[in-house]
Amino acid sequence: MENALGIWGPQAILMAITASFTVLGMVMLVLAILMKRRWKPSYAFEFVFIGVMIGLVIYADWSSTNTYTAYQQDLNAEERAVAGNYVGEGEDAFDRVITVITFQWGFAFINENDEIARNAAVVAPGEKVLFKVVSNDVIHGFNIPVAQITAEIDPDEKRELWIRAPDEPGKYLIQCVNYCGVGHTQMKAWLVVQADMSDAEMQNMGENANDNA
Amino acid sequence: MTTHEDSAMRAGNKPHWKPENLVGNMSLKELLFSNDYRHIALKGIFTSLIMLALGGAFAMIFRSELMVPDVQMLGAKVYMTLMTLHGMIMVFGFLIPMVVSICYYLVPKVLGTERLYWAGAAQWSFWILVVAFLLLVIGRPDFTWTAYAPMSFRTGNSLIWMGHVAIFLVAVSEFLAGAVLVRNALSSKGGWKNTPLIAWATGTVGLLFMVSTFPLAFIGLGLLGDGMGITAFFDPSRGGSVKFFLYVFWTYGHPAVYLPFVPAIAIIYTLMPRFLGFPMWSYWSGVVAFILLAIGAMPIGPHHFQPLYTVSGPYERFIQILTLLVFIPSVLHVFNWTATLFMKPIPKSARRAVPFKFMVMSIAFIVYGGATAFLNAQIAPNSDFIHNTYWIPAHFHAMFVGFVAQMAIAGFYYLYPYFTGRMYNQFLGNTHFWMWQVGLFVQITGMFVAGYLYFPRWVYDYLDTPGWSIPQMFISMGGFLVGLGFVIFVINLAWSAKHGKPVADDPWPVEHDDEAAPAAAPAE
Repeated sequence: MENALGIWGPQAILMAITASFTVLGMVMLVLAILMKRRWKPSYAFEFVFIGVMIGLVIYADWSSTNTYTAYQQDLNAEERAVAGNYVGEGEDAFDRVITVITFQWGFAFINENDEIARNAAVVAPGEKVLFKVVSNDVIHGFNIPVAQITAEIDPDEKRELWIRAPDEPGKYLIQCVNYCGVGHTQMKAWLVVQADMSDAEMQNMGENANDNA
Repeated sequence: MTTHEDSAMRAGNKPHWKPENLVGNMSLKELLFSNDYRHIALKGIFTSLIMLALGGAFAMIFRSELMVPDVQMLGAKVYMTLMTLHGMIMVFGFLIPMVVSICYYLVPKVLGTERLYWAGAAQWSFWILVVAFLLLVIGRPDFTWTAYAPMSFRTGNSLIWMGHVAIFLVAVSEFLAGAVLVRNALSSKGGWKNTPLIAWATGTVGLLFMVSTFPLAFIGLGLLGDGMGITAFFDPSRGGSVKFFLYVFWTYGHPAVYLPFVPAIAIIYTLMPRFLGFPMWSYWSGVVAFILLAIGAMPIGPHHFQPLYTVSGPYERFIQILTLLVFIPSVLHVFNWTATLFMKPIPKSARRAVPFKFMVMSIAFIVYGGATAFLNAQIAPNSDFIHNTYWIPAHFHAMFVGFVAQMAIAGFYYLYPYFTGRMYNQFLGNTHFWMWQVGLFVQITGMFVAGYLYFPRWVYDYLDTPGWSIPQMFISMGGFLVGLGFVIFVINLAWSAKHGKPVADDPWPVEHDDEAAPAAAPAE
């Protein structure tokens, strides 16, 4: 499935750079210990190395900013009246809008019909879902591993995220990733992906998931 | 310029001082209250090692809890308290005081002043930290070392104020330690071009201590006031701002990781020329890197809460670029060390020395943990699998344990003959070394894997999926091996203090292999 940030490509390149730098450092260290030949590296060598590092900084900044800006532009699909506040037709760009209240300790998902489900967000396969997340009390985290997105939810501010729901029906984890008190471990919910259901059935499904959670 | 380059003090490749039986010749009263720099340093080092044992024991307990899913030994409250104390004791009680105490000893020796200026402040710094520790243990906070408001004053624990006071006292203690470090760095004679790198390090990091502890003191007092209902800085329900908390806290919290990091680097710059018998590859590269690290550390705290923002705007991008740039001074140091190792054959004596082995492996861990920081600095991957998953503990355990703690242990092994007049046991030292390298590598790699699979931080139980339970099992096993290595380390200290081989005037003479065949030597 497509991940929300769409960073498979850039992320793979960054991981490869990280891995090659680790390996390069290790190899140089092992060579420095084991190699028979000895020499004093020239000082110019270090400046070349710094040049490479600056190049990497520029690349990393460009890559990250591009990825995140693309995600944000999708979020602002049509218009964004107030920064941080989603109003108007912008929401039409999404198949489903779910308001999420995070609290000590759990999630409440409110769908477009104002129906509340504790601990389960019910969506259809492949849908583009907008989450409008607020916190009721302390700083919480909001992470959907299958959609590869993480956010920190601050009680001062509303936060918006979107995901593309998985094509495969099933139950996917939603979890808090910011320590928010002793009940933090229990702060989990399910993203329930269910095909061909009426709204009433979806609501039922949410309650069942709640029991399981 | 040649005069500076020939300076023995700056080069640091000759012995500066002679070993003595310091431990055997001092009284308990001297150890506790003497303002002699050697006693202050020894007291700090001993106390830090006790803290390491305690923090490590807590880790063993909660690693047992995490080893398998669905099995509970501890409740959430006990688990979180142990986790909080583990973090606070290790950072404030072990890492920072350990490397600072080693610097209290090394700086007067290397600079030849044979005294610690402002020793009274160092004494106060120590005892204030002891009070902070007692408050933490009695108050048993469970708000993690970051103490995020408003959670940290709404825990339902009536003694939680002790945790807030302890945070304030840690700030006072670290401020005093920073002042002592700066004062002693300035005592260097013979001009700044002649100043050994350890004095550059303690001078710059001392300033960082003094500047960055003000926000921490404010956090301690602010949490205390908010918790008692007197103030409302951080409580959103009473008009405070959580964002304000985050900015203030991380203005300390980011420099805080440099506070143990930079003195540990300074220990490398002191030990490496001594073991190799020749000066570092580049002196000025080290100086520039220390200055850049101190400057770069201050403004970049906000990368610790990057995924808080809805939009990655110009300010977030600015922080992202600065964070990526801090990579450069760290790499300058690693480059300098590796280049130095390349210059001449590594003496047989160095290959055999346990502190040298720890030093080389700590460089390997700084590469391991540091390269991943390239990903952490960026907003996009930070909003994916990095933020608040086990990726972050993996990163800082590689840096804090793999690098700083191993460098502190290397410094301790190096100083051991100077403190006791006897050499440690080689076999036990090697056993400790290998247990730590294997244990730490398994543990940290397990954490990276778990983090990449979105394992959340600060949980005492987790879903039974193979991607989570297998890395957790490995992390625990690695942790236990590190614990066992520490036990062997303590046995070594106790045994060798009495039965170790007495050392001559120079415990670390440089001895070369006659055949000049270093490739045949074991690859420690």
